[in-house]
Amino acid sequence: MTEGDAALVARTLAGDLDAFAGLMARYRSALGRYALHMLGNREDAEEALQDGFVRAYWALATCRDPQRFGAWLFRIVVNRCRTVLRRRRPDDRATLLPDELPTRGDVSETLGWREEIGRALARLRPHYREAFLLRYVEGMGYEEISRLTGAKQAAIRMRVKRASDQLRELLRDVVST
Amino acid sequence: MTSFRPDPPEPDDETLRRVVAELRRPVLFGPAIDADALRAIRAGRGGPSRSRPLRWLAAAAAAAALAASALLAVRSHPPPGAAVEARPVVLRLVAPASSAVVVVGDFNDWSTVATPLRPTAAGEWIVRLELRPGRYRYTFLVDGREWKSDPAEPPAPDNDYGPPTSVLTVS
Repeated sequence: MTEGDAALVARTLAGDLDAFAGLMARYRSALGRYALHMLGNREDAEEALQDGFVRAYWALATCRDPQRFGAWLFRIVVNRCRTVLRRRRPDDRATLLPDELPTRGDVSETLGWREEIGRALARLRPHYREAFLLRYVEGMGYEEISRLTGAKQAAIRMRVKRASDQLRELLRDVVST
Repeated sequence: MTSFRPDPPEPDDETLRRVVAELRRPVLFGPAIDADALRAIRAGRGGPSRSRPLRWLAAAAAAAALAASALLAVRSHPPPGAAVEARPVVLRLVAPASSAVVVVGDFNDWSTVATPLRPTAAGEWIVRLELRPGRYRYTFLVDGREWKSDPAEPPAPDNDYGPPTSVLTVS
């Protein structure tokens, strides 16, 4: 039988690093997927993930509900992604869309669907992208996203809507071809 | 595991449903990430050992590497034939409102259970160790949830990452 998160957390706190390795293996790919979509490239995603794991280990004693270790770890990785984005040079953010989408982007027809989605996601403002991914890809409720990000639910709904509108607009040409 | 929720919500638009379906596809990340994280943890810090170092930690990692090499020079390579005797060391932490204090560091492989301190009547927690000459990084874990460095010793050079740690020099 698979050992639960709470048992692995308890063993980790007792000094068993193998137990923490089990926790990392359990959540690595799910968290990595979020980091990859949020940051847009695998190197930054791996950096955020590794950094999140190390920070989680040192803060593990503060995880008050070990049965929900996954959600707790997710919060750490979300924050690490934010940190990576903040560190990026202004040039990296030059292609971000303004709050109101003025014109349709020039969508290349030569890229595949997945690449087009990646390009479109990268053009969203980070907090729009974050809200969209947490809501629709990770399947979180607005209340949970609010707790995780510190933003009000109304603001998150607005971010999800704007992200949806902008993605739909950016991908319109790709879909119609 | 592909999602934290069994039934995530669906957008009410065909284009977005296609986008979300693509984004929900599982993405694999290899165990090398875990191994690197474990190495950083075992070293008591977050210094990377990957081929592409964490950019923002590069300076701290370099400083930590220098400190680590200094530690190894003292701890791992005593003069050949020299008898290195352990010396008594007493660590103290004033924490009158706490119910448990342990010390975690290089000398006990960063175990959170191996070295508990005992309380005194003055609200002080105390432990006596036998350590060979060298420099040791360590920190206190109070009530199983709060890391505290030792105010009596200097902070470790890479203290901006992980818990606050101190450096003890045994001569």
